[in-house]
This record gives sequence, structure tokens and C-alpha cells, in this order.
Amino acid sequence: MIAITGLRKSFGHVEAVRDVTFSAADGTVVGLLGHNGAGKTTTLRMLSGLMTPDAGTILVDGHDVGVDPVGAQRAMGLLPDSRGLYPRLTPREHIRYFGELHGLSGAELRERSRSLLQLLGLEPLADRRVAGFSQGERTKVALARALVHSPRNVILDEPTNGLDVMSTRAMRTLIRALKQDGCCVVFSSHIMQEVSALCDRIVVIAHGTVVADGTPDDLRGQTGKADLEDAFVSLSGLETEAVE
Amino acid sequence: MSRALRLVFAVFRKELLDGVRDRRSIASLAFSAIISPLLFGLMFTVAAERRRSADEVRLPIAGVEYAPAFVGWLKQQSGVIVVPPPTDPEDAVSSRAEDVVLIIDKDFSKDMGRAVPASVKLVSDVTRDNARPKVARVRNLVSTYSSMTGGLRLIARGVAPSIASAVRIEEVEVSSSQQRLATQLSILPLLLVIAALTGGMQLAIDSTAGERERGSLEPLLLNPVPRGVLAAGKWLASSLFGCGAVLFSMMLTVSVMRRVPWHDLGIRFRVTDGELMSLLALILPLALFLSAIVMFASTFARSFKEAQTYLGILMLLPMLPGLVSTIYPMAGRPWLAPVPVLGQYALAADVLGGKPPHIVFYLLAGVSVLLCAGILVGLTARMLKREAIVFGR
Repeated sequence: MIAITGLRKSFGHVEAVRDVTFSAADGTVVGLLGHNGAGKTTTLRMLSGLMTPDAGTILVDGHDVGVDPVGAQRAMGLLPDSRGLYPRLTPREHIRYFGELHGLSGAELRERSRSLLQLLGLEPLADRRVAGFSQGERTKVALARALVHSPRNVILDEPTNGLDVMSTRAMRTLIRALKQDGCCVVFSSHIMQEVSALCDRIVVIAHGTVVADGTPDDLRGQTGKADLEDAFVSLSGLETEAVE
Repeated sequence: MSRALRLVFAVFRKELLDGVRDRRSIASLAFSAIISPLLFGLMFTVAAERRRSADEVRLPIAGVEYAPAFVGWLKQQSGVIVVPPPTDPEDAVSSRAEDVVLIIDKDFSKDMGRAVPASVKLVSDVTRDNARPKVARVRNLVSTYSSMTGGLRLIARGVAPSIASAVRIEEVEVSSSQQRLATQLSILPLLLVIAALTGGMQLAIDSTAGERERGSLEPLLLNPVPRGVLAAGKWLASSLFGCGAVLFSMMLTVSVMRRVPWHDLGIRFRVTDGELMSLLALILPLALFLSAIVMFASTFARSFKEAQTYLGILMLLPMLPGLVSTIYPMAGRPWLAPVPVLGQYALAADVLGGKPPHIVFYLLAGVSVLLCAGILVGLTARMLKREAIVFGR
């Protein structure tokens, strides 16, 4: 369960996030939709606790990120915008390191590592150094280390960015599986099909503000557009910009 | 507490594994370890060679026929071998074919007979450092012959030769053989400090600036781990490399030193294991401090290249006092102990000078550098909280 209220963040004179409020319940998938530069990544960075908001509160399973960042970090698994790996370590070693940082050890960690490698189809690569991995393989390793502590809240920043069709499908399957397990999943995207195919709710962000929040049908109704993509463009105010 | 320690160990082990697999880190460790023994061996072998060359002088003399008695005397001196002269002595010296050439004047015997100063020419090149001991030896031989002959003339005239020398210099050498050794060895602490600095440098850069460059810092900071734990683990890993470089460097240097021809340098080599241990007790804690500085500085850098630019400047800092100490000895100033780097040089100079400082000074020096290292690790941890560092790529 993630609850965000009145989030605001400026960099100098640029207001990256003006007013973002939304929540995501357990067992649901919430899509954070917005064009490039709308404030999605900034919002997720504040959610992760690495960026301090100018105003607003973020609760993750009741832990206030501003007050108890460690408690909140324990409750969530995050695939951030930057997915750098350690080129000289293997996927298994990545999972082990991040597991240890979450306080896992011994048989429990080994078992978790084994099941994650299986879940993500990384078994054949498990003991090869990640230098030279494809984009899809790298994303899988980054996912594995984000999920090592079996978090109840999973946040994915543009998870399918740069992935091929098969990897994208695998990612969708994973998101559905997480939902089945009762996790709260928030992912950001600018790809309409993906959002409409997966999300129970869509939060549209434009110019740092939440401009729409509802089911895909709600959004269609709100804008009077049958196509979700048209609805998104209309909500983001991109139409007028294009005309100008 | 034990949880924090377990986390520090996890970070430490990961960075170590990463470092051992990194060719650059291993190369910098190896290079740091071998630079000192290499330099050391070369320096002393050359110095000894030079001294030995003065003891065995191959002396080309032109005009041997003008002074048979003088040349005969020269031939009797130990280590002097008189050889035929080159056709053009001055050219031979300036082209480095010969170190020194003696030219005897054709009026030598006539002047000797009339008791007026007979002249010889000593052809040498003052800019040639390595020829200098040899030239000095030849000059010495000539003046010995001169005063000897002069003395005989006075005796022949019924005058005591001592009347000709108004002042006699009696040299009193106060430095012990051990101290002379210390001036030769004063380069050793400098070389060890360089090893301490460079040994863990690549690993420190890779685990800070490298982490930023690869974009792996943000995912790392998402873990519920205090920043201090991350900084401490990274610091300990690069310190281990630094300490390893110092140990290897020391072991190799000692094995080289045992092979240096010390007797040719007029020094009795006598560095005890205790003194070597004392040096380690000074330099190893310093390695922890230097690793902390390197880590702190490279956390500012967004990339490997940027870090190396900063560190190029930073590297000079701990080396400067070392270079100064080879010219301006720091021995006898144990109160410098709490000043990082400077203190280590001062105490090391005393250790090598055979005047070991009191144990209190070692403790003072050790505690001081560890405290400074702790502060730097703390500052690094604080930097890892800054958004400009975490996201500034």
C-alpha cells in the first residue's frame, strides 16, 4: 500500500513536481503515465527516499519515507531509472549482495536466489559475468536484485524501456504474477498499450501535476475519447502544445 | 551493532571480489608494490658502482716519458692502472670515452730538478656526476705525490717538513654509521607512503566514482542500509589493498636491500626486524587514512576520468613532505606524530636513525590518522545522501 499526498519538488526555478497525490492499494497495478519530463521519475525518486520532497508525504505500508526511510525501503522493491550493474559480478552474485544488504543470509538467501533466477529465466546465465549481457538480460538482473527481499510494494520506472518483444512479455507476466501474489505494483510508462493491458488504475501526470486518476474506462469517459491514447494526449495538454 | 558489522562485511567482501577481478585494480596494486624495491635497488647499485669505480682507476696518462718517477709511483698505488692516452684527451673526456685524463708537461723533469712547480693537466668534465669520485681520487693522488716530494726537499735542506703546514685539519665525524644509513634510507618511508596511497586507489575510485559512472549507485542506495555502512565497507576494501601494497613493497624492498653492496658505500647495513616492524606500525594505519582521502575525493567525481584528475593533484600532498624530508631531515621531531603523513615521516626518520621514538608517539600517530580516516569516512557517508551526488551523472 502506497499513499502519496501533496508531493512537490523544484530544482532551482524549475518546478518538476507541483502537486502529486495518488495511492496504490495491495493487489492492484497502478500505471503512472506521462510524457517525457512530466515528473514521473522525480516522483519515483522521492518515493524511493533518495530525494527529499519540498512538501508532501509518502507512506509505504504505513512507514513515512521522510521519517523512517529504512522501514519504507524494506517494504518496497524498486527498479530505478538507472540500472547500472557490476560488470565483473554474475547475476547470482548480484542477488547475493543485495540480499545480504537486506539482511538475508544462508539457506534462505540461496533459496530465494534460486527461485528468482528461475522466475526471471536467468538460470543459464546465473554464473556468467554480466559484462556483455543484452539490455533485456541486464534489466532482468536489475529486477532480480530489486525483488530479492520479496517486497510487498514493487515500483518499476519504465520497466520495458529498451526491451524486445519477448522480454516485454516476460515483464508483463511478472507484473501480473506480482499482482496475483497480492503485491502493490506501481510502474511508470509512456507506452499506452502496456498501461491499458496491465493496469487496474491509471494516474496521468502532466507538468508535475496529476491530471487524471481512474480506471482506463474512467479516463475514456472523462475525455470523451474512445481511444486511450487520444485520451492521454488530451489529458496531458499535448494537443494544444502541438497546435501552438 | 552486529547487524551493522555484518552489513559492512557484506559490502567489504563484494568490493574485494570486484577489486580482485578488476585488472586495473590488481595492476595498480602490483605496480605500487614493485616500484619501491625497483627504485631502491637501482639507486643503491648505481651509487655503489660509482664508489667502486673510484677505487679502481683506469688512468690514461699522456707524456709518461717526461716523468718516469711520478708515473712509477702512481703505478704502485693500489687500484691504479696506468693506460696509454687517447689521441685527443679533451675530446675523449667531452665525448665520454674517458672519465679523466692526466697530461704531463714535457718540462716536468726539468722543473722538478730546478724545484719549481712542475705542471700536470687534469682533464675532466665537472657536469659529469658519475666521474666525480674518480676525478677526486686522481687529484688526491697528485697532491699526495706533491706534498711527499715537497717534504723530501725540505728534509734535504735540513728543515722539518711540518714547518710547511701551518694548520692541520682533524675531522671528527659525529654521525653514527646508523645515521649515515638513515640518510640513505630516508627514501624508504616515501616509497612506502606512495605504495599505501596507490595500492588501493583504483579500487577506491571504482567503488565510488565508478559506481556513479555505471549508474549502480542509485540502486545500491535503495537498500535499507545506512550510508556509513556502505562508506565503511568500501573504505576497508580499498584500505586492504593499500596495506597489501605496503606489505608486499616492504618485503620486496627488504629482500633487495639485503643484496645491495653496502660495504662499497662505506655503510654497515644493519636494519633490524624490529625497525621494519616499527615502520609497518607507522605506515599501515596511514594506508587506512590515505584510502579514506582517496575515497572521499573520488566520491565527488562523476566518472573515472574525473576522479583521476582530482587524484593526480591529491597524490602530491602526501608525497611532498616525503620529498622534503630527503633534503631537510625530519628526524628528532617526534612531536609531529599527531599530524597525518608528516608525523609518520618524522617518526620513520627516527626509527631509521637508530633512535626509536617512545611507544606513546606511535599510539599518538596511529590514533590520529585513524580518527582523521573516520571523519573522512563519515563525510563520504554524508556526501552519499546529497541528491547532486546520487543523481548527478
